[in-house]
Amino acid sequence: MVIDHDVVVLGAGLAGMRSALEAARRGADVAVVSKVHPVRSHSNAAQGGINAAIGEGDSWELHAFDTIKGADYLADQDAVEILCSEAPGDIIEMEHMGVIFYRDEHGKLGTRAFGGASKARTYFVGDITGQALLYTLYDQILKAGVKVYEEWFATTLFVDDGACRGLVALDLLHGDLHLLRSKAVIVCTGGMGRVYEPSTNALICTGDGMSLAYRAGAPLMDMEMVQYHPTTLKGSGFLLSEAARGEGAYLLNSKGERFMERYAPNKMELASRDVVSRAETTEIKEGRGIDGCVLLDCRHLGRDVILRKLPQIHELALDFVGVDMITDPVPIRPGMHYIMGGIKTDVKGRTRVPGLYAAGECACVSLHGGNRLGANSLLDTLVFGRHSGGDAATYAKETPPTTGGEALLTDEQRRLQALLERPYRGETHARLRLEMGQTMDTYVAVERDAAGLETALKKIRELQERYARVSVGDKGRIYNQALTFVLELGYMLDCAEATVRSAIARTESRGAHYRTDYPHRNDDEWLKHVLIVHGKDEPEYLPVTITRWQPEVRTY
Amino acid sequence: MEWTIVVGRYNPEGTIEGEPEPPPPPPYTNAVRKTYQTFTVDLPKHAAVLDGLIYIREYVDESLVVRCACRSAICGSCAMWINGHARLACKSRLDAVAVDGRVTVEAAPSMGVVKDLVWDQSPFWKKHLDAMPWLENREPIPEREYTVPNAMMENLIQEVSCISCGCCLMDCESFAVNPDFLGPHALAKAYRYADDPRDAATTERLRRYSAPGGVWDCTHCFECVSVCPKGVAPLDQILKLRRMAVEAGFTDNNGARHADAFAESVRHAGRLDELMLVPKSNGLFNIAANLRELPGAWNLLRAGKLFSMFRRPIPGVQRIRDIFKKVGGRFGGRQEADKIEAYDRPYHRL
Amino acid sequence: MKVAFWPGCVSKGACPELYISTQKIAPVLGLELAELVEAPCCGSGVISEQNPALADSLNALMLAMAEAQGADLMTICSVCQGTISRHNHAFATDGERLARANDVIASDGYQYRGTTKVKHLLWILVEDIGIDALRPLVKRPLTGVKVAPFYGCQILRPEDALGIRDHPQRKTYLEQLIRLVGADPVEYHGKSKCCGFPMVTFNKERSLAMGGSHMVEAREKGADLMVTPCPQCHLNLDAMQPEAARVLRRRIDVPIFHLPQLLGLAFGFAPEELRLNHHVVPTRGALQKIELKA
Repeated sequence: MVIDHDVVVLGAGLAGMRSALEAARRGADVAVVSKVHPVRSHSNAAQGGINAAIGEGDSWELHAFDTIKGADYLADQDAVEILCSEAPGDIIEMEHMGVIFYRDEHGKLGTRAFGGASKARTYFVGDITGQALLYTLYDQILKAGVKVYEEWFATTLFVDDGACRGLVALDLLHGDLHLLRSKAVIVCTGGMGRVYEPSTNALICTGDGMSLAYRAGAPLMDMEMVQYHPTTLKGSGFLLSEAARGEGAYLLNSKGERFMERYAPNKMELASRDVVSRAETTEIKEGRGIDGCVLLDCRHLGRDVILRKLPQIHELALDFVGVDMITDPVPIRPGMHYIMGGIKTDVKGRTRVPGLYAAGECACVSLHGGNRLGANSLLDTLVFGRHSGGDAATYAKETPPTTGGEALLTDEQRRLQALLERPYRGETHARLRLEMGQTMDTYVAVERDAAGLETALKKIRELQERYARVSVGDKGRIYNQALTFVLELGYMLDCAEATVRSAIARTESRGAHYRTDYPHRNDDEWLKHVLIVHGKDEPEYLPVTITRWQPEVRTY
Repeated sequence: MEWTIVVGRYNPEGTIEGEPEPPPPPPYTNAVRKTYQTFTVDLPKHAAVLDGLIYIREYVDESLVVRCACRSAICGSCAMWINGHARLACKSRLDAVAVDGRVTVEAAPSMGVVKDLVWDQSPFWKKHLDAMPWLENREPIPEREYTVPNAMMENLIQEVSCISCGCCLMDCESFAVNPDFLGPHALAKAYRYADDPRDAATTERLRRYSAPGGVWDCTHCFECVSVCPKGVAPLDQILKLRRMAVEAGFTDNNGARHADAFAESVRHAGRLDELMLVPKSNGLFNIAANLRELPGAWNLLRAGKLFSMFRRPIPGVQRIRDIFKKVGGRFGGRQEADKIEAYDRPYHRL
Repeated sequence: MKVAFWPGCVSKGACPELYISTQKIAPVLGLELAELVEAPCCGSGVISEQNPALADSLNALMLAMAEAQGADLMTICSVCQGTISRHNHAFATDGERLARANDVIASDGYQYRGTTKVKHLLWILVEDIGIDALRPLVKRPLTGVKVAPFYGCQILRPEDALGIRDHPQRKTYLEQLIRLVGADPVEYHGKSKCCGFPMVTFNKERSLAMGGSHMVEAREKGADLMVTPCPQCHLNLDAMQPEAARVLRRRIDVPIFHLPQLLGLAFGFAPEELRLNHHVVPTRGALQKIELKA
């Protein structure tokens, strides 16, 4: 079936729903497409908080500087200026929508400290800020009556005459393929954590939108900038929020030392995430770890603070490693968490492909450059979700209705049918994904070098070749997860390839991209972004936009 | 370690090999009939039921479908019946839930099934929508944030912890016999907005939730409190709504009349007067309803039980009447007692 | 063993057979029942909904009266057990609530110091007396009789207030006692679900559908009778059974025994002594099965 709308949003996390809400407010007929129910989106896992320079003695310029420094000067400063100057407005707006932010003793919005910030400017709801924001936005979507195509899986973008005019999606509950035709598409599909194993990310974070946009002609930028979060739980890789360190928790090595003293004497545990992850990796490498981990010690925070401010991570540690953080330190290690890179957009969320927008983690404006500060991601989704939605609505108003696309729908039906009919030849999506994940976590992690990266690239190529032989173990129509997993693997391989190729291209160390063979930052040659373009062997480059903050030495 | 996982499967498109089990117990007799397949998995000691299902899905049978995403009890996707009770599969360790190394999982029989463990969530979300789950802003909307004491925001965190997993509705006995009951999930959400100081629609909400299918259709059994993986305690939220609704004047229902009659008999006699409770709950002048109670009364009379239901005040009843007077508030016959924070603190935590 | 005996309101009102049968078996069990004749109704969870301060005060008074007896507070009603336990648990974990309640009851010379343990007869039988000590008391084993245990909800949930975390076996005491008296417990899903009584005055049809479903399930699994530790469940299951059958449009015909009645029969008492001839649903059929095996 062909269904027409003005704007189609792919992904119903914070960025997706914020952009849909904005587009709806501007009068567009919006539809949201999501492969899971909106509240299952991974935004719900963000724990610690959301940044804004609202408080006395704080200024958006200071927030911007912290962000740019945190990004190791790879962020585009015009975009960061927008992020930080508009942040207060977006926070207040969320509060008006009903988010139950923490209050200080005057009943006003209250803050907690977070990594890389010169002032406490992180607003929060317990340790479930992402969940609180997500549900409030979902409630607003319901109030506004926005149409949501729930459990619809996108298989390709509809590109007509060089512009993006919709997408084809599989209705999982009924097994039918549909063309959702529109004048603009906003991709808000989040991250690609499952490319790595382990990762803090949910199983649904498979880089769908990044790959779809990439194949439609939108370049992927700064894909080598993969953030390893310092405190992920031993074994499972579950995230333990930075909020713990914000409340005052320590990081200890096997000798019981607060080792951050040696790496970031000023900010200590609240230095930027890449600095802390590297510090932990060094401690573990040099033999001061315990079973591949270091320790997060919250005991001195006291029972009351832990149960009131950090209840969720307390439970995570208890349920999944059997450690009660009230009485014992928790074993943690750096784990893949976030991708700063993504689909290249301008400050309005526009990609190189007309009609195609992107916002949230899957986009790269770039706000976070080489490293993202904690609590800036939630902010990113709201500010740039709003911009994308608003601009897409305006664009849609000025664009004549889309026609055609039936041929694409037929082609997709044939393609998926052929995929379903492939006989089993020994390759499963599960095994390929595991091999990919382990390869990435070994060679494209906290520390990289040329030899390792080349090995990784070779492995990805091999996996892409084997992918052509993967079969789908479920031949049914209704709720065919096996089919979606195979398609997701294809998306992930695209993202993995872009990540490795970008990492090979950048011969310096900056932010989260640390190369043992090029251990220093090289502003003379590398104040630029790396772009991977579909169909081109060589990367493209774009200079970083600098407005008022000249690159400095970055210490914490 | 080896585990046996028995999975209740259902495929609308065809038949599945396996053992059909006897029909689900009343009141779930409308549930789909499932076929049960037995799998053996070898997993580390701390593995959860979800790890077992993912293992089966990846290495044994790719057609097994289960909703899951975060694996860490945050997204709420993987709620299902595990050994007959609603639980999150990712939070159920095999060594804790298995009996003799064996665990049975299936979609809860109180819900429709799409396929295997994927249940039909449309009634669940429809109820949520019926509860008017959004803020209706109190005017005037301030330029900056509303000024509210932190305690009022913290009061709502218990419900905001809800991950919409569905466990509470799956095991709600009242919902099982009454599909029109709004249910614990929707009513907890209803409370979250009803008691939000920034909301302007409280009265309208309380009117809606006092209607049939609302707060008075809850049977107060703590099942939802028990199965909720996040400590939301929906029952507590429902009871707070009841209190708010009565305080707001929505007392023309059996629930409010029942509470008044109950308290009055305790005040008067020190004990419950069952005899008058039923007609007073219906409303003494509700002839039709009270006539319908006669067969029940007749049965009690025939069994020789009615004699003891005539109450006299107990010795020392004055003590009790004094307590009523001293506490005041509803039933005490004087001004409303101050809203005391101690009684609205989250009571049930895991 | 002396207990501060709290019979509740229903066992002295609509279910006198419970009170009477409890009195009958107490001496056999060695239980000295010091009845709290002046204690108020616990509020049944109803008063606390609308006026928590009042419910706290009433329960603090009862708990203080038991404390004055220097004995455990024994209940024979699950709703009393659940309600008083919840208040007792609140007093133990929230000093402010206890202080407020004590402030109210102080004028009558009572103060609750928080030491009373609240235990249903069901728990006292297994925990304080013990299955082994009970075994020699069984004079008339109910061999071959299939008994469905019906816990209902208030004696199982919430787990923290009822001490189930520390005593998880409390979820199995009915089965243990059924085996003790020589009968076979019936396993069925509805044994720990609600009978519907709390809402029988709000929505009778749905309330009876709940209790009715559990009885139908128990009978389909072969139960000859059902036993319950709660007189409120008893009312919805026994007194309302004819109406429940009409609502469900199914035959039910399951006799409902109170816990002391089941034990009393096993100890050798005659059915009339336990007032088994004063139920709404005739117990004759089940009794005949027992007599046949004697």
